[in-house]
Amino acid sequence: MTKLKEPFLRIEHLEKWYGDLHVLRDISLDIAEKEVLVVIGASGSGKSTLLRCLNFLEKAQKGKFYLDGKKIRNNERDLNRVRQEMGMVFQHFNLFPHMSVIKNVMEGPVHVKGLPKKQARNIAHKLLDKVGLGDKADTYPAMLSGGQKQRVAIARALAMEPRVMLFDEPTSSLDPELVGDVLKVMEDLGREGMTMVVVTHEMWFAKEAADRVIFMDDGIILEEATPEKMFTSPENERTQAFLKQILPQE
Amino acid sequence: MSTIIPWNLAVIPERFFFFRDAAFYTLQITTLGILAGLIIGLIVAFAKIAKNPILSNLAAGYIFIIRGTPLLLQLFIIYYGMTTVVTIPPFPSAVIALGIHNGAYIAEVFRGSIISIDYGQMEAARSLGMPHSRAMRRIVLPQAFKRAVPPLGNQFIIALKDSSLASTIAVPELLLRGRQLGSSSFMYMEMLIIVAIWYLIMTSVLTYAVHRVEKRLRVSDRDQT
Repeated sequence: MTKLKEPFLRIEHLEKWYGDLHVLRDISLDIAEKEVLVVIGASGSGKSTLLRCLNFLEKAQKGKFYLDGKKIRNNERDLNRVRQEMGMVFQHFNLFPHMSVIKNVMEGPVHVKGLPKKQARNIAHKLLDKVGLGDKADTYPAMLSGGQKQRVAIARALAMEPRVMLFDEPTSSLDPELVGDVLKVMEDLGREGMTMVVVTHEMWFAKEAADRVIFMDDGIILEEATPEKMFTSPENERTQAFLKQILPQE
Repeated sequence: MSTIIPWNLAVIPERFFFFRDAAFYTLQITTLGILAGLIIGLIVAFAKIAKNPILSNLAAGYIFIIRGTPLLLQLFIIYYGMTTVVTIPPFPSAVIALGIHNGAYIAEVFRGSIISIDYGQMEAARSLGMPHSRAMRRIVLPQAFKRAVPPLGNQFIIALKDSSLASTIAVPELLLRGRQLGSSSFMYMEMLIIVAIWYLIMTSVLTYAVHRVEKRLRVSDRDQT
């Protein structure tokens, strides 16, 4: 990997509780520009919460966030601005069912950025072609398969021209045969130099596309390593136990 | 035939259009009452969802009082009860009462349909950088309105029939006209049947209209095949 590594997104001492439940414990993390970071861990380890805190869909009780060295303040204006720079892809797609596929993709550019419709339409067509759904522009989400929905959701997020893409278990609610198409799109994105944070159970994707893998357990980052290291010789025994459980036995 | 049926049914077609003006009154009270109800309902629904406890408690109190008392009582309070402060003529009294009454029910319809929209929709909109109010307007409300159509249609039909209570405060709508013509001609049943037919025509048209709207809104919902 000869990717440029510069401090780009930084989290300092993040703490998050749900009531009495301490879900994230003093998490600090740097993400470099053009890095593909994969977050793994058992369910309940806090990996999705970490991703959602990054986009402020969850408000952390403590912690500082920096984008490009600038502190992100916890007010609506700052958050709306920062969110425009972070694309988010959800486990359950969350496409807008009352809009056609192309309108879904145009929604951000037109109604957040204020681009003219014609320009937004061009962007949307290009992105739909890119995710292999150029022919579905005028259908409604309900007509699409899960894999197609998720690729539209990726196009919708990309339409804002974000600087980071966050993926929250993007293939977890897909039928197994549809997972490949979505991962392929994500892999291409990473190769093009998109900064990505991906929470996933797809170890194949982590091996192929990640620059760095972090293993979360009980609200902390227990181990971080390159994919080669993580999957061949993890140091912590909990990491070993988790990977043994999740990786196919050879 | 007249030996079997004790009423002179032949007068029904003859006198049917004696009720045209009365039907127009019914239609006016209902339409204006529903419009007022929709505006009140929308405001109260948002107030009840609001995080501000004063607003949400006010809305809850309003719904509690209006849904917990009869429409006829509300009508009398506005028409008779308010006279010490202000005298409101029969027609506006009926519209106000129907509006306030339906406002409470419609508020619950709107509130229910708004909170039934998956929270992921709001999150997806916010993740694009959209402010909360715009996400509500562009993403949540259009879907919520769609879900509100069937219960709203139901409420409109109830409002149409409830407008007959205005007969008690001398608004010359269908039911009052039926009673007047019935007593002057001694043909109560015949006149009341005419009234029933007018109501049935109006409720049928309303039902059909709601059905059409539902069908049009369903375009995006077709399941995958």
